[in-house]
Order: sequence, then C-alpha cells, then structure tokens
Amino acid sequence: MKFIKIIVQIAMLYGFYFLGEQFQHVLNLPIPGSIVGLLVLFGALLVKAIPVTWIEEGAGTLLHYLTLLFVPATVGVINYLYFFSGKNIGLVLIVMVSTLITMLASGTVSQIFANKTGMQRERSS
Amino acid sequence: MMVAALVGVMMVVTTLAVFLIMARLYRRFPLPFLMPALTTTFLLVIGLLAFNISYDTYMIGGQWIDHLLGPAVVSLAYPLYRQRHVLARYLAPILTGVLVGSMIGMASGLLFAKVFGFSEDLVYAVLPKSVTTPVAMQITSQFGGAPSLAVIFVMVAGYSGVVFGPYLLKAAGLHSFIGKGMGMGAASHAIGTAKAYEFGEDAASVSSIAMTLSAISGSVMAPFIVWLFY
Repeated sequence: MKFIKIIVQIAMLYGFYFLGEQFQHVLNLPIPGSIVGLLVLFGALLVKAIPVTWIEEGAGTLLHYLTLLFVPATVGVINYLYFFSGKNIGLVLIVMVSTLITMLASGTVSQIFANKTGMQRERSS
Repeated sequence: MMVAALVGVMMVVTTLAVFLIMARLYRRFPLPFLMPALTTTFLLVIGLLAFNISYDTYMIGGQWIDHLLGPAVVSLAYPLYRQRHVLARYLAPILTGVLVGSMIGMASGLLFAKVFGFSEDLVYAVLPKSVTTPVAMQITSQFGGAPSLAVIFVMVAGYSGVVFGPYLLKAAGLHSFIGKGMGMGAASHAIGTAKAYEFGEDAASVSSIAMTLSAISGSVMAPFIVWLFY
C-alpha cells in the first residue's frame, strides 16, 4: 500500500515537472523546466492549494535516492576519460579555489547582514 | 526490441545492486571518498570498460533512472516548504548570501577558466559547480557543454567544501549558524549540507535552504553571466 502511495505521489511530482516544462517552453523562460516546477509546487504548498501530505512521501523517497539518480549521467564521464590528463587537471584546482571563494563570500555577507539586523542576538536572548 | 529491453533491465538492476552494496559499505565506513554515488560510478565505469560495453548501451537502461531527475528537482520544494519558517525569519541575510554566492561562484569559476585559456565547452562545465547536480547538468547542457563533466566539477566543489570548508569558516571568523550554513550550502550544495549537520540542526536548515535557492538563482543567473563574458 505504501509502495503504491509513493508511486502515485511521484507521478504527481512528474505532473509538476511536466507543467514546469510547459511553462518554460511556452513563456520561453531561460531557466530549466524542473526549477519552474519546483517554484510552482512551492507556491502551491504555501497557499495550501495542495496539502503537503499529497507529495511528502514521494518527494522524500526521490530525495533519499537522489545520489542514485544521477549515477547514470555521471557514468557518461567514460566518454571523457581522455580529459583527465595534462593541463586539464588545472581545472580541478580552479574549481576548488572558486568554491572556497564562494563559501567565504556568501557566508560573510549573510553573517554580517544577520548581525546588523540583530537577528542573531534576538534569537539567543 | 526484446534484446534492448533485456539489456535495459540488466543495466538498471546492476546499477541498483551496486549502489545498494556501496550504500551499505558507506554506512559501515562513512568516509567522504566512499560516498555511494562516487564508488558506484567508479565501479560501473570500470565494469563497462572491462566488458567493452559502450555508454550508449548502458544508457538503454540508464535513461530510465535519468528520467526521475526532473521530478527529483521538483521535490526540493518539499524541504524548502518544511524550512519555510527559518526562511521567513532570516529572509534578508539568506537571500543576500544566496545572490552573492551564485554571482561570485559562477563569475569566478568562469573567469579563472577563461583566463587560463580553457575552451568554451569546458568553461560551461565549470560554470554551475556550486549548484546541486541535476540542475547543474541542465545548466551546462543548455549552453552545449558536457553534463558528465559538469557532474565531476560539482563533486569537486562538494568535496573541497567538506574537506577545507571547516578550516576556512573558522579562519574567517564565521561562527554563526547563518554564516556556516550559508557558506556550506551556497558553495558545496548537498554534500556541504550533509556536512553542515555536524555544525548543528540550525546550520543544516540554513544550508539546505541555501542549496535549493542557489539552484534557482544559479539557473536564472547563468545565461546572464555567460552573456556578460562571451
């Protein structure tokens, strides 16, 4: 029974994905249809157009196995094995440095912002 | 037709079986380089090479799993909804952190790669490195880059955040749960969020929000940043 419920809920999430793809296509939006679907679903949950119980088990299951879902796409690296040689290794270093810069920038900005508005102190009192 | 279906089922079953075994191994030894997605991919690549099976043949079954990525991205609305009170309470610092993170994350990666003379298709694979995998793949393919390479860089961004992040956050004086969670989620997406649980529940909530919103802002900003530099 639980299995069927999960399948039905995933089908519903598929519906939102499909809806997002259609919006993206018709309105010619520069963002992926899946993200549009995410926003539509989030909106629907916020205004309670859809009770969270309709999707929570399906969404929970998909997110629990999320890392499995992108395995097939990652295996595609098999067509790029030549890539991992010589100069291209430098890109890995670039990604590491850029990631740490990103962490520093976003963390610092939000911490300063939170302190300025006194949210942290308000919370701890 | 029959043969294709059979091959497809075989590939799906193999992928599932390897993943479940690797997940069990990871539960036993929770080391970053033993994360199931990493080890499963590694073993499947070795297996395909050993048996001389092409990626196209593997994808006869692989695409069935691939099809679930769309609804999985939609599912991210669910944790975001559950964290809506945290989001509403810290809306301004969270949104600023996400926007600054997306902008600097994508612009710095693109600029470095461009300055060091890497080709355009590689630059597009680097671009969405701080965005969660399924969305990063879509951003890269949108510009004609290789999604498989994008996944590799997303992994590198995730693990470098997990390995070096804690030292960096400490050195930079980021002690609040907002600063730590935002840094982890905006730079290192889901892998960073998993690490953020070690900083506490608060930091993990912020990190999970940061990761979801970064996926949204990353996909909105990517075309703009590419347009700016090319």
